[in-house]
Amino acid sequence: MTESSSFQRVLPVADLPAGAKKPLSIDGRPLLLCNANGKLHAIANVCSHNEKPLERGRVGNGWIACPTHGARFDLVTGKAMCLPATQPIAVYDVRVVDDWIEVAVPV
Amino acid sequence: MSEVKEDQRQAAAASKGEARCPGAPSTQEIIAADKVAAPGWVRSESYRFLGDEDISKDRYIDAAYAQREIDTLWKKTWQFACREEHIPEVGDYHVYDLGPYSFIITRVAQDDIRAYYNACLHRGTKLRASGTEGNAEEFKCSFHGWTWNLDGSHKETLCSWDFPHVDFKKLTLPQAKVERLGGFVFINMDPQAPTLADYFGKEAKAHIDAWKLENRYVYLHVAKHLPCNWKLAIDAFLEAYHVIETHPQVAPSNGDANTQYDVYGEHVNRFISPLGVVSPHLYGKVSEQDVLNQFTLGDSSALGDTKFTLKDGGTARSVMAEMFRGMFEQATNTDLSKVSDSELLDCFSYTVFPNVFLFPGISLPMVYRFRPDPQDHRRCLYEVLFLRPVPKDGTRPMPAEPIHLEDHQSFKEAEGMDPGFGAILDQDTDNLILQQQGLEASAKSGLTLGNYQEIRVRHFENAVSKYVA
Repeated sequence: MTESSSFQRVLPVADLPAGAKKPLSIDGRPLLLCNANGKLHAIANVCSHNEKPLERGRVGNGWIACPTHGARFDLVTGKAMCLPATQPIAVYDVRVVDDWIEVAVPV
Repeated sequence: MSEVKEDQRQAAAASKGEARCPGAPSTQEIIAADKVAAPGWVRSESYRFLGDEDISKDRYIDAAYAQREIDTLWKKTWQFACREEHIPEVGDYHVYDLGPYSFIITRVAQDDIRAYYNACLHRGTKLRASGTEGNAEEFKCSFHGWTWNLDGSHKETLCSWDFPHVDFKKLTLPQAKVERLGGFVFINMDPQAPTLADYFGKEAKAHIDAWKLENRYVYLHVAKHLPCNWKLAIDAFLEAYHVIETHPQVAPSNGDANTQYDVYGEHVNRFISPLGVVSPHLYGKVSEQDVLNQFTLGDSSALGDTKFTLKDGGTARSVMAEMFRGMFEQATNTDLSKVSDSELLDCFSYTVFPNVFLFPGISLPMVYRFRPDPQDHRRCLYEVLFLRPVPKDGTRPMPAEPIHLEDHQSFKEAEGMDPGFGAILDQDTDNLILQQQGLEASAKSGLTLGNYQEIRVRHFENAVSKYVA
């Protein structure tokens, strides 16, 4: 079964400057917006290793590292890059419309 | 032995290593003719004859020798673990592995970097996976949750009531020594190790200080496993003697046979390989325009698609220096007005024992690092990092993520690698499996070295012998 998704308006672009992260909850789903290296990313705000939040994690060149045990995830694909995580995290499409960030979340 | 024969032997020994490429200018003579004069660290020589015995091949092919290196050499030498820009903020960490050893290099305070042995003090689980980076407010083990503060002191143990026999106040994370130089973070496992300054020696450290490599950042980082012992890989980059046979496309613009070789103390050596001049092997066979056309860059992306043309009466070397200065200034947004022609053009290769090469020049702005494969003494990990000057506005870009090539891939396939330079690295590394296999097959017990052009190999292997012994 394929999940469908629709874009939801979540945050003014101005509220997410370069290098910033912003945790959000959409329909009870914890998300993390990142403005990293000139790109916007929306990822699950939950580490796939032991379900701790990622929002205090370091963002590098295309990755975020869980602050609890150090699992790293690719910001574009969600793929786990190192132990102790082996499973990916969810990533969501992002777009900017009328100076607002919109995220495609499953419906 | 008769007295006359002994005199003859001593006279011959005294002259060993004094021969230089006949009919060719020395590197210093080439540099002295440049328009913008070179600094003192360029205009000096430091060659010493170190013997002419064969180097025993055991060290390259014997697994037991590799184990002795792990037990001795790697535990007592200063090693480049990461650049400071890999851990710019307090709490940032970078995991550095060497053989079976692993360290968490972390910035505990703005000016305090430490290297913790990467293992939980409960049952030994690595606190952070190998080859990774991140930021931590504490180091919590993923197994039972034992936790340490950023400063290494013990913070928390689940069910501490069950460990009355443990003095948690003393359960701090063990550390290796840490020192910084030129933006590089060095570590040493030996508590009795000399300071990094003493390890380099006064003269070599003065050279490195002069380059101000702290003002550069990692622009490109490529890693690949090589099918040979780590020392064979290092030996391959210690001389320009191989250029005419291995890199024939480079020779028209490289003074290979008249490259200068220097040794400093026990841990640092260098060559200055002049570029923009023809190889002595090709005198009379190529024109100055050919020299210009064949000039090889490690970072040619900084120059775009520009082609060079020789004016009447000019030399390729002078034209290249003049044009490079302006173009690299523009491409990298930096001021190079006081940088000499030699620093812009020539290949300066310094080795810091045991496993790091520093190339402070502008056209080949690289760092090499070699590490043994902990599972196989016939394999090693080779990394090449390109360093560019930090832009004039002071904004330091994030260091490039490593690109990991598979064994079958060409260096040319790494995104951002100059294709011409990638081809040179392929040529260098393709020889190595043949050399590893050949040494194992050989009826000869050792490697024979040239007295001058291969002095860095001997200098390096002498240091290996000292530490392993």
